[in-house]
Amino acid sequence: MYSIHCIYQYALKLSPMVLICFILIFNCCTQHEKNSGPPPFVISQEQVSSFVRNFNPLIPSGSSRWPTISGIYEPLFIYNSMTGIYVPWLATGYEWKDGNLQLDVTLRENVIWSDGEPFTANDVSFTFNLKKTNAALDPRASWGYLKSVEAINNHLVRFKFLRIFVPGLHALTEQAIIPKHIWENIEDPVKFTNPDPVATGPFTEILRFDHQIWELGRNPHYWQEGKPAVERLRFYAYPTNEQATIALINGEVDWAGNFIPAIDRVFVGRDPDNHHYWFPRVGGSIFLYVNTTKPFLDNIEVRKAISLAINRELIVRVAMYDYTIPAHPTALADGLAPWRSETATENGDWVAYDINRANEMLDEAGFKKGPNGIRLLPDGNELFFDISIVSGWSDWIRAAQVISQNLKMVGINTRVKTRDFGAWLSSMQNGEFDMGIAWTEKGPTPYRLYRGLMSSEFLKPVGETAEVNWHRFASDEVDSLCIAFEKTSDRDEIKQIIYRMQEIFVDNAPAIPLFAEPSWGQYNTKRFTNFPTAKNPYAQISPNYPPENLLVLVNVEPK
Amino acid sequence: MASRKSDSILFRWVKGIIHNKKALSGSLLVLSFIMIAAIGPYITVDPNAFLDTPLSPPSASHWFGTTGQGQDVLAQTISGARQTLLVGFATGFFVVLIGALIGGISGFYGGKVDDVLSMIINVFLVMPGLPLMVILASWLPPGPLTLTGVLVITGWAWNSRVIRSQMMALRDRDFVSAAIVSGERNIRIILIEIMPRMLSLLASSFIGASIYAIGAQVGLEFLGLGDVSTITWGTNLYWASNDLALLTGSWWTFVPTGICIAFVSFGLTLINFGIDEVTNPRLISERNWRKYLPKGKGNDGITPVIKNHA
Amino acid sequence: MSTSIQYLLRRLGFYAIAAWAALTLNFFIPRMMPGDPASIIFARFRGKLNPEAMVALRETFGLTDEPLMGQYFTYLKNLLSGDLGISIAYFPQPVTEIISTALLWTIFLAGTSLIISFSLGTLLGTLVAWKRGGRLDSFLPPALAFFGAFPYFWLAMVALFAFGFGLGWFPLRHAYGDAVTPGFNLPFIIDAIYHAFLPALTMVMVSLGGWMLSMRNTMITTLGADYITFARAKGLPSKMVMLKYAARNAILPNFTGFGMALGFVLSGALLTEIIFSYPGQGYLLLEAVRAQDFPLMQGLFMTITLAVLGANWLVDIAILFLDPRTRR
Repeated sequence: MYSIHCIYQYALKLSPMVLICFILIFNCCTQHEKNSGPPPFVISQEQVSSFVRNFNPLIPSGSSRWPTISGIYEPLFIYNSMTGIYVPWLATGYEWKDGNLQLDVTLRENVIWSDGEPFTANDVSFTFNLKKTNAALDPRASWGYLKSVEAINNHLVRFKFLRIFVPGLHALTEQAIIPKHIWENIEDPVKFTNPDPVATGPFTEILRFDHQIWELGRNPHYWQEGKPAVERLRFYAYPTNEQATIALINGEVDWAGNFIPAIDRVFVGRDPDNHHYWFPRVGGSIFLYVNTTKPFLDNIEVRKAISLAINRELIVRVAMYDYTIPAHPTALADGLAPWRSETATENGDWVAYDINRANEMLDEAGFKKGPNGIRLLPDGNELFFDISIVSGWSDWIRAAQVISQNLKMVGINTRVKTRDFGAWLSSMQNGEFDMGIAWTEKGPTPYRLYRGLMSSEFLKPVGETAEVNWHRFASDEVDSLCIAFEKTSDRDEIKQIIYRMQEIFVDNAPAIPLFAEPSWGQYNTKRFTNFPTAKNPYAQISPNYPPENLLVLVNVEPK
Repeated sequence: MASRKSDSILFRWVKGIIHNKKALSGSLLVLSFIMIAAIGPYITVDPNAFLDTPLSPPSASHWFGTTGQGQDVLAQTISGARQTLLVGFATGFFVVLIGALIGGISGFYGGKVDDVLSMIINVFLVMPGLPLMVILASWLPPGPLTLTGVLVITGWAWNSRVIRSQMMALRDRDFVSAAIVSGERNIRIILIEIMPRMLSLLASSFIGASIYAIGAQVGLEFLGLGDVSTITWGTNLYWASNDLALLTGSWWTFVPTGICIAFVSFGLTLINFGIDEVTNPRLISERNWRKYLPKGKGNDGITPVIKNHA
Repeated sequence: MSTSIQYLLRRLGFYAIAAWAALTLNFFIPRMMPGDPASIIFARFRGKLNPEAMVALRETFGLTDEPLMGQYFTYLKNLLSGDLGISIAYFPQPVTEIISTALLWTIFLAGTSLIISFSLGTLLGTLVAWKRGGRLDSFLPPALAFFGAFPYFWLAMVALFAFGFGLGWFPLRHAYGDAVTPGFNLPFIIDAIYHAFLPALTMVMVSLGGWMLSMRNTMITTLGADYITFARAKGLPSKMVMLKYAARNAILPNFTGFGMALGFVLSGALLTEIIFSYPGQGYLLLEAVRAQDFPLMQGLFMTITLAVLGANWLVDIAILFLDPRTRR
């Protein structure tokens, strides 16, 4: 038998050549993919390691593939956060009647399902009534305020309400509509994966579906003439942000909504002509929530002082790479700027950076500094708080570290504590935290934002799970304002209510706004054009906010 | 009598280590890092301070450049050593302690005790380590105590088995029978008679466990399961990766820490090599006979059989 | 022979108990974690879902309020009938489906890496023990030990960025490219090997030192045995003594280690899969933990545990054949 020694030496000599052969073979084998037809529009939105063929638009998204609810299926209206209006889509108009207890929605004519059947009001009423019989299909809890949904004729749907709840309109507009003639035969709509969807959207044909790649083709019967200009969408499975970023940088992706550090150098620098990004600040702000049930933090002046000690510019620079700006006193970012109240803005002078004033206010509030430079509680103990952050959300961890350093300078001792998401969420919801960074509620108006900050509707005692209002602050006046808001559809009345809410917010400082929440959007103009941009803001660029992404999908064009 | 015997074993052992090249260089390497960990943080700039332009390459003012947030990489590398080494060695210590206790008792007493303890050891051995670590680390509040605990729980079984086999081998030796006959209590036999002879095994177990602990710890922290607001080698790598260190070509945020970890682990490995060379009777005798052989012969490790020797 | 069967059965009994212990632990640990999947999904939307959605989410995922012990027995019963439930993170795909694809890829990648690493390492270990004190012996063990001293993921990341991203020689992610269709065709197989090359290379590089060293150590001990000296005294050539006498015996203890490592192959090379985005079990487990996907976590743990125990038992059988001393 051959001596092992000889074999070993032989192999050593051969291996570099074998390696090179391999590389050459593979490099040329994998090239021919690129030469077949018009380029697909590659989108990076989901980050999963493997795709599951699920296109069910009724279950909470995350389980179904993007863009099931706004790309394959469509809603009645699309709220355009750039213009602030509801763009008619499957519906052409709505009207409140009967003292806001009835909503009549007129549907668009000549819309056909992708299998050729006509789209009618029966489909809409079927969709909503299906949600009624299955709580799992009603994540918006619409049936908490709806009484009935009826098709009056082929193009008119009548919603009747249990109580006056005008903000309920928003959830109704966003609902993806499913075809009655398909879904009435499905036994378990919750577990149904809908592998071959029949829908009204611009893209409905599944051209290819593998675990790592899938393709979505045009709807042959789409109701908008000549649209979409793009022939097919393609999705790759990028399991981590880093892999998605690599693909984006390499120019493999045409549209994405990822968080990328140092984006100018990393992304734009690679191909300055074609690689672009836009991070409009469309909604609310990111907040530092303090537990208002705890001593020291229950004091309004203290909360304002804490806010004054925070160097928001530094946070924005260090944690957010200057992608956003410090928060506005009303916590309303650019997208909701038209709602800002001037009075509130003036009174919100505590959303600023002034260490001296912070120290003064804390002194006046009666919390003197102890021998170590840390302020003392009335019982003599030094102040100490944990700032809770989700481990893995590195940008917020950085922000918390800056805050911790800032607070040290006014005599408050803190420690950044990271926890896994489940544990973090639990502790926040149960009110078992000192301080934590989190988001605000979103919506077409600031109603949900302030409701989540100050209404007693979701207030729960410490130890019980509260879905919002984790900081446990409630104002009776805000409660009555919310009720008034729900009852009216008058634009001016709504404005006045929102203004008053803002004034209460800046007076009480229930939580501390840090910076405006940006939306992430990157696009590549090498193969496609007509993206919404800062110069042409016809819609939001980020694919992360359905159903607005529909506006982009139907307008993008190949070059 | 017994204590003098073990003293001289220890003494001979330490002397042997010092004279062994590998062990010596390994020890120096490790000791220098321990020194850096101990003193370093007092002489560097504040590793937490956001000082300068982010991601700037090594320069005169920042020898290892800056991180994605503008923090000094050298300061972070030096500060990171402390917790990483502490957790590493603490884990090593506890692993050996538990291993010696359970493995030793199991091996010495045999019978039912051995059956039960062996069962426990084997159950822990077959539990998949990394997945268990991930689950435990994500559940418990992050920090050095959690890390040590998780690493010890998933790592003690292996050493236990090794110590148990060694204990079983030693138990049958004459000196133990002599001690039993002369009426010494079991505990005394285990601790005073047998353990000192297992010193090299315990030492290399400690080192092996420490290497494992450092590596696993860094891995968990890289996944974000440690306390990312503290500064350790693992969290340095976590942040570097988060800031897309390699994508942006900022190798200086990633490389120094990796090299430090490699050096420490390598140093520990060298020490283990050295211990092995000094205590493995086979290698000792090899060294001895090599002095007598003509050059070139006797290289293959088999006991040489030669016709003439003076 | 009957004592051997007795021995195997006893081992099997032990493995059964170990399996039960692991599966029980596997059931309780995820449930002891704070938070629940519905809350996690809700919060993933960072404020876009209504708070009222929680009820809907809980309904969807079938999260009940049944007492813990009741859930435990249901879990055991389902396990025995092969029903691993429906995943939460990949709703509504059954867990068995999700695991099966990942399983294949993990076995492919980690399995071949292990086999290559073990074979090569053992070979090198034999060589190094053979040429004791030579150039190879003073260079190779320290060099491989140094490579093994780097944190694995560090080497993997550097390799990925240097050879994949920088030089473009290897693909950056996944188990196969987009131009090929999965199946038993040659382009697919070649593509799969191409994609597995870099991850496997890094795994082999890091573990090679360990196998080599342990083989070298057992060789050294074996070479000290009397029968080896006797063989040399008889005049047998070095090569023959090395291979037929020494290596064959020295490999046995390492074989046990190989068996255990084989079982652990299924826990996936977690870090490898994350860095190379390789669709295996390790990455799946991390995702399951992050999403608190109980069914998936349990399913993965079960396959891993059963694989480890199964591999161990197979190794016991193999050693029974290879090592006559065990057949008493």
